Parts: sequence; C-alpha cells; structure tokens
Amino acid sequence: MAETALADVLVEMADTLVDDFDVIDFLHVLTERCVQLLDVSAAGILLTDQRETLQLVAASSERTRLLELFQLQTDQGPCVDCFNTGQPVSVPDIRSAGRWPRFTAAAAEVGFVSVHALPMRLRAEVIGALNLFGVEAGALDDDKVRAGKALADVATIGLLQQRAIRHRDTLTDQLQTALNSRILIEQAKGVLAERLHLDLDQAFALLRHAARNRNRRLSEFAQAVVNGTEQIPGAPEAKSAR
Amino acid sequence: MRLWSLAAAHAGAGPVAVEHVCAAVIAATATDGAAVAVALEAAPRETIYNSNRIVSEVEELSLTLGEGPCVDALDGGLELVADLCAGRCLARWPVFAPAAVEAGVRAIFALPLQIGAIRLGVLDLYRGEPGDLERGQLLDALMLADTACALLLDAAEQDVPQVPGRVPEPAGLQHPEVHQATGMVSVQLGLSAALALIRLRAYAYTHERRLRDVARDVVARRLRFDPGDSAHGSRPDDSRSAGN
Repeated sequence: MAETALADVLVEMADTLVDDFDVIDFLHVLTERCVQLLDVSAAGILLTDQRETLQLVAASSERTRLLELFQLQTDQGPCVDCFNTGQPVSVPDIRSAGRWPRFTAAAAEVGFVSVHALPMRLRAEVIGALNLFGVEAGALDDDKVRAGKALADVATIGLLQQRAIRHRDTLTDQLQTALNSRILIEQAKGVLAERLHLDLDQAFALLRHAARNRNRRLSEFAQAVVNGTEQIPGAPEAKSAR
Repeated sequence: MRLWSLAAAHAGAGPVAVEHVCAAVIAATATDGAAVAVALEAAPRETIYNSNRIVSEVEELSLTLGEGPCVDALDGGLELVADLCAGRCLARWPVFAPAAVEAGVRAIFALPLQIGAIRLGVLDLYRGEPGDLERGQLLDALMLADTACALLLDAAEQDVPQVPGRVPEPAGLQHPEVHQATGMVSVQLGLSAALALIRLRAYAYTHERRLRDVARDVVARRLRFDPGDSAHGSRPDDSRSAGN
C-alpha cells in the first residue's frame, strides 16, 4: 500500500474535523477508506456502551446481512475478544479458527473468510474496535496492520472531538451521543424505506446523499426526517428499485 | 438486572413505576433527590415526579425560567454539573444557578430520556453538596434512565395488559431493527416516532412476543400496522390491511 494513500486519508479525515462535523458521517467515511486502503471487503466500527456490550455505529456498507454480522459480535466474536483484551485479533481463516460458532456460521454465509479486529484506545481504556472482513484467507501484512491502527486512532479522535466544542467533554457523553445518533439514523432509514419503498441500505444512501446535498449534518438531517419536518423526494433510480 | 431488582424492591408488590426508578437511582448514585420531567409531542414540559420539596422547587424554577441543566439536557446531551457555583455555570445560567444554590442545591446531573429522535424528557439528579458523579454511578444512572424511558413508553399505551413482575424491554441500540421498524411504523400509521414505538411495544406485549421479533417482521414487511386498528398490526395477506 502506498504511504501517500494513507497520508491522503489522514489529511482528508483531519480536514473534516471542523466545528460542525457529524460523528456518524465521519466514522462512516472512515470505514469506506478502510476498505479502500486495507484491501478488505467490509469494515465496521463498534463502540462500547460502557455497560455490557459493543454496539455498531458505522459500517462501510449498510447491507442488512452485513450489519447483522457486526451486530452479532455484541456478544461473541473477534471484536469482543479484541475489546476485552485490548489487543488486535487477527483470524486469517475463520473456518479453521474453531471459535465463535455462531459468528463463524454467519460470516461464512455472507462470504467472509478472514476477519481482523483492532482496538480503539483512549489512554489506558479500550472504547471500541475497528472490525475488518475479507473474502479471501490471509493475515493483514505489517504495513496494513500499522495503517489499520492509525485509522482506528483517527476514529477515536473523531469520537472525542465531536462535543469538545460544546463543553461536553466526558467520554461517557461522547459515547452516548454517538450511540444515540446511530439509533436516530436507524429510525430515519425506516422512515425513508417505508415512505419511498426502498431497502434499508438504499434508504441510508439516500439519507446521506440528501444531507450532503443540503449541507446538513447527517444526524440533524435524520432527526428532521424522523420528525417529518424534512421530506426527501425519492431518487428516480431508487424508485424503480422496487 | 441488579438495577432493575433495586427498582423492583422500591416498588414492593406493585408494578414498577417511574418513582421507584427514581428511588433506585438516588440510592445508586448517592444523590439527594431526583425528578423526571416529560416533554412529549410539543406539549409543555411537565415534571411528573419529584422526590422532595427542594427538587420540586428547583424544577419549577428551571421550567419557569427556561434555564438550567435540566432544560439544556432536553436538547439531547448529558449535563453533568458538579458545582453550580462554578464561574462557568453562573455565566451560563445567570438567573437559575444562584437561585438553585439559594434553594440548597449545589450539583445537578441531567440525563436526557431519549431514543434516537424520540425525546421523552429528562431525569434530573440533585445533590446538596458539590461533587462529580463517579463513573460507575453515572453508568448506573444511564441504565436506570433507559428503564425510565421504557416505563414511560409502556405507561402511554392503555391497551397493554399489566403483568406484575414484567421487566420492560430496554430501549437501547442492541436491536437496530427495533429503531428501523419504529421509523417504518410511524409512516404506516402517520404518527410520530414516539407513538409508533409505543404501538410496537404494545403489540409485542399483547401478542406475548419479543419486541425485536415483532420489529424484524415489520422490517421484512411481513407485518404492517394499520391506522384503523389500534394496537394491532396486520399481515399483508389479511384482506383488511389492503388499501390502507
């Protein structure tokens, strides 16, 4: 992987950390860049709810089956192990790993073979994990592991940055805000899917596209969609999808 | 479950209600008082529970002035105020902060009762002495705030049978399909997301099913909610759902 590609992404992400950035949108872009840079098929970011479980807040694709696979790791899988130990977990071939039977079956069903989880750290504390999936067996090489760690750090920085501007500086508040924003996005996806007869992943794409077009923060726009104060006319190609 | 048991212990033999959750949260956080204020559907904010007279006075004050952490938390963020006498607090709430201190309050922790776009209200915790919540206390408070959310939603639906000892389904992110279904049902019924979620929960209770399973059926478009038929969804193959 070219070092310049990683540098470009780091610059791009740093540039988006302006006053009105949206943490879910930021993390979503980051997962897309992970897929491009690390040569994996899917990436997701899971955060701790500081109670019992990890929760998915962003993924490179909103395909339902993929989201289910991430969500399954709220109680078992490489992400949980990574979160509990604070160490990266790399499984070059889950078929021979012999752990996490439910997770392995679900991953195989979606066509994934390799899986990696990198911890998101804040000083001594682990606050979540960056989860990567590949369709071919194999470990991440050292360069990609390094790049992946850098991207996991960027995700942490984004999370911490979101409320610094509003005097909301406790980690708990920042995690709560991110998790609640994710709930908001799910509600807005439901509204658009029903109103415009879309699949949920199409609904997410439309939501994000419309927010960007209007120069609005994703979570604020999602709130307006759920409250019914903002309408989105269906995109022509989306309408014909059903 | 530990915290639920704590709330249930305060309820004794009766059903667990918001006041019992408040009693549990006071015990879990070593605070002196708690209040729950509800603001639903653009109705004026209303305090539905105060644990004591001082709390009641300060809540009233905050409502009247439209100022204070309890008002700000309604916009969706935690407000953790360890000392109302701090310069930052006096600058931010110039009328409320001194008045609250005068009434005997030094620290206020306001937790939004929200589920995504649904803003139900605020759980406010009060202390007579300054000081932060410890991390564990805050996490317990957040968990009990979730419980309060669930109780408020379930109390809103009259048709739901009361089952003593029933633990309400939590309102968090664990099951994204619940939130997707909330959005879908709000469009099907032409109702707010809050009312849609209340209906979904009521449907799950009356049909003795888990909320996530009902939600999954909605998302898979195996179950629709019909505006003409309160508390009951209908299958797409039911003739009565056609055309609605």
